[in-house]
Amino acid sequence: MQAAVLRGTQNGYDLVLKQSASFEQVMVDLKELLENLKADPQALEATKVSLDVLTEDRILTADERTQIEQLVGNYPRFEIHKIAANVMTVADAIQLRERENVHLLSKVIRNGQEVSMQGDVLFLGTIHEGGKLRTTGNIFSMGNVAGILQAGYPDDESKLIMGNLQTAQQIRIAEQFDIIEPDQLTDSGQTIAYVNDLHVLSYGHLDNLKKINPKLYNRIGGI
Amino acid sequence: MGKAIVITSGKGGVGKTTTSANIGTALALMGKRVCMMDLDIGLRNLDVVLGLDNRIIYDIVDVAEGRAKLVQALVKDKRFDDKLYLLPAAQNTDKTALQPEDVKEIVDELKPDYDYVLIDCPAGIEQGFMNAVAGADAAIVVTTPEISAVRDADRVVGLLEQHPLKEAPRLLINRIRRNMMQDGSTMDIDEITRHLGIELLGIIFDDDAVITTSNQGEPIVLKTDNPASQGYRNVARRLEGETVPLMKLEEQETGGFWHTISSWFHRG
Repeated sequence: MQAAVLRGTQNGYDLVLKQSASFEQVMVDLKELLENLKADPQALEATKVSLDVLTEDRILTADERTQIEQLVGNYPRFEIHKIAANVMTVADAIQLRERENVHLLSKVIRNGQEVSMQGDVLFLGTIHEGGKLRTTGNIFSMGNVAGILQAGYPDDESKLIMGNLQTAQQIRIAEQFDIIEPDQLTDSGQTIAYVNDLHVLSYGHLDNLKKINPKLYNRIGGI
Repeated sequence: MGKAIVITSGKGGVGKTTTSANIGTALALMGKRVCMMDLDIGLRNLDVVLGLDNRIIYDIVDVAEGRAKLVQALVKDKRFDDKLYLLPAAQNTDKTALQPEDVKEIVDELKPDYDYVLIDCPAGIEQGFMNAVAGADAAIVVTTPEISAVRDADRVVGLLEQHPLKEAPRLLINRIRRNMMQDGSTMDIDEITRHLGIELLGIIFDDDAVITTSNQGEPIVLKTDNPASQGYRNVARRLEGETVPLMKLEEQETGGFWHTISSWFHRG
């Protein structure tokens, strides 16, 4: 059985590298396949073939990826669109889970303390003056905030902060920040802080979430 | 085996040293054996407040560096029989002269001989703070009803939560001006306690006599009829596990229940 198989799909061509074969075998068979196609140009209709390389349950090392890219690079008719596997490393999976989940956080963040999180945070605790909570995702706050909140750390302006922000010292999203003046915001738990199209931090109300951030609105079941 | 309690605040000038001296004296008056340690190295003044500054021969740095034995450095307060001792800070060096391990070693050596080891912490959260906290089993966080002091106390409570001692820190609100708190121009006791989220150990009213007595080198607790003195003695009783109600803000103005009772005894 060939360790490298070319398959036509609706969108182009998949190059499947069988996981049951050794990587050396894959390279030998891939080279043979490409040579055959070079020798017989009529076998494929397209003049320029873009390949989706599928490695099944094998995760290629950086070195192995370069070897495949170099080999394919020798044949001008072919180019690699992407290399994908069915599996991911545990480290990547954990990171993904951290990033995609909403994390519950209920603690007191005191003056001088900084809590860093990954992903979205549902905050139920208290932030004292001088305390800081920052995360890569959104912040939904039901707690008492008298300190600093930062969403989308370090540079994701699509994130937002929701909750009662009236008593906060500062609101930061990505690199934008705003110093909250005493009478600036209403005493509402449905305030939303977001970065608008002009890259300015502004405030809205939960009712307007659809306008403010359609992507989030759709993701959480707004349609 | 005694208990080591660090008295700390973050901010300077809120009354850590006065509090240390008075709680220590109050405990000694209750018959407890107390050793007070001054860790404000380079700026010592617990000895002055206690009126023991002329008796210092060796200090804590001498002990840590092996120039003196611990018993040689201890200064005995003759007013309290064998109850109250002071381990003075050094005056001619700085806080880096001690390491947390040194302090812990000294505290552990003192604990079997005393009921309480009170550690007077320097202001700030640097090395001096780390030294003072290293050997302690419990902490008293001193603050005043001012935003700046409460902020710093908040910071210190945060640090104490990150490196927990055997017991959770307790709060002492010092220098309360009754009239200002009553008319709402300072934070009130409940507000401060709730904000900091730690147990309230006691409140001390501001009183001119605290300054005059400390100038004379005798702690205010020796004056029995003074409200600040009463506050410190209540704190000492609470440390001993007694349940003592908080003093009332309006006590002085209206006469108050205890005032009425005590006035019966004064009359005769």
